[in-house]
Amino acid sequence: AAPPPEKKRWLRAYLELQRLRAPPQRRSEKPNWDYHAEIQAFSHRLQEDFALDLLKTAFVNPCYIESEEARRRELGLDKDAVALHLPDNTKLAEQGLRFARAYLTRSFEGAYPDLPAKGIEALVNFLTSQELVSYVAQNLSIQDLALCRDFPAPPDVLQRTFLAVVGALLESSGPERTGIFVRDFFIPQLIGKDLFEIWEVVNPMGLLLEELTKRNISAPEPRITRQLGVSTVLPVYFVGLYCDKKILAEGPGETLLAAEEEAARVALRKLYGYTENRRPWDYSKPKHGLAAEKAISSN
Amino acid sequence: RYVRQLQRLQLLFSPTAADARGARQFVEEAAQDFARQHPDVVLYVSPHAGPGPAPVLRAEYLNGTVREELIASKTSEEIVQLATKLANQSGLDIIRIRKPFHTNNPSVQGQWHPLTNKPSILTVQGPCLQPQ
Repeated sequence: AAPPPEKKRWLRAYLELQRLRAPPQRRSEKPNWDYHAEIQAFSHRLQEDFALDLLKTAFVNPCYIESEEARRRELGLDKDAVALHLPDNTKLAEQGLRFARAYLTRSFEGAYPDLPAKGIEALVNFLTSQELVSYVAQNLSIQDLALCRDFPAPPDVLQRTFLAVVGALLESSGPERTGIFVRDFFIPQLIGKDLFEIWEVVNPMGLLLEELTKRNISAPEPRITRQLGVSTVLPVYFVGLYCDKKILAEGPGETLLAAEEEAARVALRKLYGYTENRRPWDYSKPKHGLAAEKAISSN
Repeated sequence: RYVRQLQRLQLLFSPTAADARGARQFVEEAAQDFARQHPDVVLYVSPHAGPGPAPVLRAEYLNGTVREELIASKTSEEIVQLATKLANQSGLDIIRIRKPFHTNNPSVQGQWHPLTNKPSILTVQGPCLQPQ
């Protein structure tokens, strides 16, 4: 008997092309997906105990509820079946954002006491900005678990979901554990970043003058310390700032003005204690006495 | 804090094929212990009936990489070892490491540039003082 006819030779290449051209799909629509198990694994992965129903509410976005209700209405169900009885995560997200901002402001005020309020606000805004929070959320697989209308989830949805997760943790485990969680996931994003990359300062010289008058030091006198290649296309000037003939800071630049500005920035970094060789952040476990003291003092 | 990079493990095997015997033994004996020891990894067991592709262990990581490892004709212990190896990996691509050293602090006292150790223009050069 003849061997059974094989499938055509072009079929395999065609199926491969179809597989490569298929539009990206949510992980929840691909095979092997168990929502409850994934949520339990998520809470174990973060080494935190969550109340699971709070966590499930944290992943529900308002755009998802609207799209689900629209879909049910299109399918022609009754009014009772259309209404989805799911609370969404806006309240939890607001709570999480408020707590994260308050905790980060407190920790920066404790770690850098000389940094002015505007600087601390700039740091906290950077840490709770959309790009950073959505980057952290992507790498914690929140984009798989979050229920939202579009795929891939836009960054503001990811930011809202992650802050709602923080809010859910706040409700289930209390402010201490949530503080440790915020510290562990937000503060390492500052490693390798310079203060003035995050905080836009238009006039560093003016800010420096204010800081020095606050500490009763006379105005700085800029002098050229070193210069290279003055008559070439790429000169380098090192301008030093001297207060009472003692050196405050030295900074390089292409032109004299740029070098003076850079010297002012270096001086500000030294004054605020945000240099590159400062002590690294303290991630040790907080002692229980300190937390009680802080709670009593805040009350 | 430490976050395990392995998200989920999918065990795809056939209930009748001969080379999937190790996979079946793993599912009967060791899969539950493995799942209990690693509560942050979701283990999916999906037997597909009939003659199909070779038995495979698919690992998905937090950064999106999917790694498939063949488990045909492997014993149950070998599959356990393979699963623990995948659970301890991160999802970065396995490529040749160009250099076996790396440091985040390449310079302790500040990197040398042509102007270190050169006196500044403001230094006043006076007559040398004789040691007394």
